[in-house]
Amino acid sequence: MGVLNNTLPDIAPVKAVDGLIGWGRGSSIWPMTFGIACCAIEMMAVYAATFDLDRFGAGVPRATPRQSDLIIVPGTVNAKMAVRVKRLYDQMAEPRYVIAMGACVCGGGPYVKWGYNTVKGVHKIIPVDIFVPGCPPRPEALMDGILKLKEKITREAVFARRAATAADMEARYVQRPVGGGAGA
Amino acid sequence: MEALELYTVDERADLYTEELRLNLGPQHPSTHGVLRVELRMDGEIITGSRCDIGYLHRCAEKIGENVSYLQFTPYTDRMDYLAACNSELAWSLTVEKLLGVEAPERAQWLRVIVCELNRIASHLIAFGTYGIDMGANTPFFYAFRERESIMALLERPSGARMLYNYVRPGGVAHDIDQAWLPDVLAFCDEFERRWAEYNQILTTNKIFIGRTANVGVLPREMALAWGCTGPVLRGSGVKWDLRRDVPYLWPYEEIEFDVPVGEGTHGTLGDCWDRYWVRMREMMESVRIIRQACARVPSGDFMDKNLVRQYKTPLKPGKGEAYMRCENPRGELGFYVVSEGGTSPLRCRARGPSFCNLSVLDALLPGCMIADGVAIIGSLDIVLGEVDR
Amino acid sequence: MNEATLHARLAGSGVAGIGALDTSAKDPFVVVEADTLLAALAFLRDDPQCRMEMLHNVTAVERPEAMEVVYHVCSLTHHHSLTVKVRVPRPEGGTHASWIPEVPSVAGLWAAANWHEREQWDLLGVRFTGHPDLRRILLPQEWIGHPLRKDYVYPTEHGGMPLELDAVPLYERRAGDPAPEPKPPREAGTPLFQPPAPFSTRPEAAGGKTAEPGQGGGEH
Repeated sequence: MGVLNNTLPDIAPVKAVDGLIGWGRGSSIWPMTFGIACCAIEMMAVYAATFDLDRFGAGVPRATPRQSDLIIVPGTVNAKMAVRVKRLYDQMAEPRYVIAMGACVCGGGPYVKWGYNTVKGVHKIIPVDIFVPGCPPRPEALMDGILKLKEKITREAVFARRAATAADMEARYVQRPVGGGAGA
Repeated sequence: MEALELYTVDERADLYTEELRLNLGPQHPSTHGVLRVELRMDGEIITGSRCDIGYLHRCAEKIGENVSYLQFTPYTDRMDYLAACNSELAWSLTVEKLLGVEAPERAQWLRVIVCELNRIASHLIAFGTYGIDMGANTPFFYAFRERESIMALLERPSGARMLYNYVRPGGVAHDIDQAWLPDVLAFCDEFERRWAEYNQILTTNKIFIGRTANVGVLPREMALAWGCTGPVLRGSGVKWDLRRDVPYLWPYEEIEFDVPVGEGTHGTLGDCWDRYWVRMREMMESVRIIRQACARVPSGDFMDKNLVRQYKTPLKPGKGEAYMRCENPRGELGFYVVSEGGTSPLRCRARGPSFCNLSVLDALLPGCMIADGVAIIGSLDIVLGEVDR
Repeated sequence: MNEATLHARLAGSGVAGIGALDTSAKDPFVVVEADTLLAALAFLRDDPQCRMEMLHNVTAVERPEAMEVVYHVCSLTHHHSLTVKVRVPRPEGGTHASWIPEVPSVAGLWAAANWHEREQWDLLGVRFTGHPDLRRILLPQEWIGHPLRKDYVYPTEHGGMPLELDAVPLYERRAGDPAPEPKPPREAGTPLFQPPAPFSTRPEAAGGKTAEPGQGGGEH
């Protein structure tokens, strides 16, 4: 699929195929078992029986990033952990999605003012699709976030062209290595 | 251990073996958080281990030096996020010691009830996730079903499901509604029936006993030397519980409860099963405490009146230092606060029980197999928020 | 035994350099010389009347005039505890980068001290001589500086990971980007982020009191 991505014209048959693939992907988002801090307990509560996540198709958590579609980042990311979060994200295969769960990963949270080694929001390291604020967010809020992600995936154009030129696509979607391209 | 003698290099001279370096990394289903253990292994047997922590270091002590005493209460929640009220209690008691105030009677009894409910919730997670570590997925769902009831109960006075910010210096933040105490008693009745179910699922399960008995034996002297407290220490046969021996809340002196210790029921004294069984029995003791406390809650203030007036401006305790320790579900949480008279402390040190309990891991892991290593980490019941602060 | 009796017993033990019991702060403590620290703590651990089996806590406190290391020891057989302090005076001009006070390590007496002392080395830069493995425990090994010092300046990034609120995300940095303009050096003790002042909904013309900027968002 990679070579056909974003190449075909935006006509009805292509859109129908896109819709089918989007529906399939959105209904079986397999997250990674990744818990950092307090928000991880509310994430576990979402997997558990009262707020069952399996009924949305997302209840098969994979321990390895190579087999998962979604990484929910629950809990504060600090300098030591950020390297590992980036590595885990890099190991995931496309299409991959990120939900930032909790105030800490949305923008620093309670540790934004005096935390010397916390990353102020995981969107500084990896591109985030959905932000779920809260400290910790209620399980219903996380479920809402996952359902919004499902909507987002369903509307995603897989084959239909999303950008005008290939150069534009490259500029938008190709990631640079850490530190090498930064110059900062 | 017989397994070690099975194939020695002398017997199987034709077998070429190499030391394996395995990284039980920060992202792992069984490390109870972001803990990294570097393992050196001979096949499946661990020959050396080195713990690497700090993946959740959130600068709590630096924050404590820069925010006011009341503003720091939510940060203590987030240290041991499974037993938030107990951590807040330790902080509140330390600040009250510095201020020289005591919370009113109603607040003390409410604190006891809320802390014991939190103890049950925390031990439930220990029980559920220990099952997952051993490969049993069902206890997790049962544990979270009970946890939902407790969180619904605790949400009513405090407003939050998990990180309550409820126990504050001077008392508790809000009063309870009329129907709260009867609902807590109803929960206790319900919980006693469920506890019997948990024993059927996990405690008496032959596979579980086979995986945890005689594994990770922690002798008494080693536990004391390494500073282990809580169920880890009590599992080794030491009958030491701050609630009974150095009561930090006077209601504990008026309540009858036992302190369960490990007895080596299914194996050596101080193995993983003993620590697990201490936690299970502690849940029952907490139910007993809650029942007695619910009958004794008097009417009155839930927060010290002078302190409420003072909360309009930041608290200034005056020069001094105080060290208070409380019995958390994981062990003894100690707060050492040095105040120079300002609105923030000069030094705010949290002695996390999981930090000291985890330090014994490097001494316990060598010699056992990797699967036993996972059982040992689970039996120590650590919370990385408290280890790294 | 309460602290006074414990202190009397310690003072009469024959170990030199035991100070008086200081009760001016809320919790009484004993100040001990750094040279005789090990002997004093060993006495507390082994004497049958004291029997301090457990080292509960090791803390380092940075004061303007000295660095204090505070030991909380407690006994399970006798239900008592004691606070012992060691003071290392600050030399002239002893600042964050230059001054590393040294205190003997008690890791030989209680194994619990191993990790506690590593943490105080990591966060406050107190070197414990005789420690079997003194390296950083909470922060990355390559971290520079000891964060809990009063004159610590917060870094802007570490190991390629940005630590600032207004940092450019990693995936938006391109090879040909111009370098960001250098910001003025940050002062020690300043926060990383100042929330904007709360705005008042009542217009000033109506005579209502407006919130002054700098009051802070509900600072208590």
